[in-house]
Amino acid sequence: MSKVEAIQYGDRKVYAVAAFNRGVAEWLQRLPTLWVEGEVTELRRNERWQSVFFTLKDPNDGACLGVTIARSRFDALRLDLADGEHVHVFGRPELFEARGDFRMRALSIERFGLGDHLAALERLKKKLAAEGVFERKRPLPFLPRKIGLVTGNDAAAKKDVLATITTRFPAARIVVAETLVQGPLAANAMIEALRAIAAAPEVDVVVLSRGGGSFEDLLPFSDEKLVRAIATCPVPVVSAVGHEQDNPLCDFAADARASTPTAAARLVVPDAADLLARLDRTRTGLARGARGVVDRRRERLAQAHDRLRRAPSLAVERKRARLEHAAGRLRALSPRATLERGYAIVRTHDEIVRTTSAVSSGVEVEVEVADGRFGARVE
Amino acid sequence: MSAEPTFEDAQRELEQIVERLERGEAGLDEAITLWERGEQLYKLCVGRLDAAQGKIEELARRAEQTRP
Repeated sequence: MSKVEAIQYGDRKVYAVAAFNRGVAEWLQRLPTLWVEGEVTELRRNERWQSVFFTLKDPNDGACLGVTIARSRFDALRLDLADGEHVHVFGRPELFEARGDFRMRALSIERFGLGDHLAALERLKKKLAAEGVFERKRPLPFLPRKIGLVTGNDAAAKKDVLATITTRFPAARIVVAETLVQGPLAANAMIEALRAIAAAPEVDVVVLSRGGGSFEDLLPFSDEKLVRAIATCPVPVVSAVGHEQDNPLCDFAADARASTPTAAARLVVPDAADLLARLDRTRTGLARGARGVVDRRRERLAQAHDRLRRAPSLAVERKRARLEHAAGRLRALSPRATLERGYAIVRTHDEIVRTTSAVSSGVEVEVEVADGRFGARVE
Repeated sequence: MSAEPTFEDAQRELEQIVERLERGEAGLDEAITLWERGEQLYKLCVGRLDAAQGKIEELARRAEQTRP
């Protein structure tokens, strides 16, 4: 083991590369052995190599850490790791002196367990909730121009959703994006599919659908990046993942959640039959309303007409009555009425006799009574 | 009369004529003239209503045929 010795150039201390690396490596060895969590990527294992290499990646910001582990140790773990798997690595930092490469020397690797997943999910859920990622709940369109369907390339699940949507609304137009929905690569694939389909012309709502599965199968639907992509998706998202009892985090970020494909269909399209029936009732009401307007006018017109018909004869009757009244008064004022009460009018030479001096004895006069006249002589 | 009155104007004039006749304000000759005018307005209104009703029934029939 070479020592870390500097070369003196006057006042300046200079280290050879090997010496520098050695110094750093020795310093690193003083750091403790600890657990690091991340996603396995670029796993390289070769029978001729002493070590197995992989990169541990932080799923949140993509920070990377090179890891080496003795091949015998790795094989003894019988993990059968695949790229994208979530693991805890026990080891310590190390510098590969020949290349100046910083990396982690692993002593053990543990696949992320159910308990770990649950704890991580609960933490993530709390964090996202605190950030308000779950708060956006936009109303779904009443009748979307197009429906985007992000689903697995497993025919049964896709057919289920398509069938329930088209049964409910036969004219629905659906754009399907098939994607991975399971395994370590699913989350990124779904994010891509979601982005692409939300950007497609006329897509007004997106359904993210997957049939039931194990807890691990549904894990990609709780992926932080996917959950955020759903929360910021430009069109409303309906999450139709797993069964009623499953609560992947995408359910909380989506604008609506459906526990079955039928429920999803009910959320994204109206029931065509029901809609037609309502429209029909409205149309009937429309005709009834229009007829009602005419009927009411007709009735009012008929009333006016009735009154018009009666009005002239009424007017004539009224005038006749007034005339009769006037005639009655006229008659009352005429002397005839007086004559009928027994009075008489006496005339001489067609002059009415008003004084005794108007006549003298022997003069002929004419006497008028109620029913006629007769002559008489004054005595 | 320059232009045909609207249904509402005709109806209003008819009702005014009836009220005037019923109040007995019009002279006899005027009453006759008013009555003639009233009948004329009535015919006009009925014609309008018949036309409207015909159009409604026609539309309803057409709607019935295009029922999906």
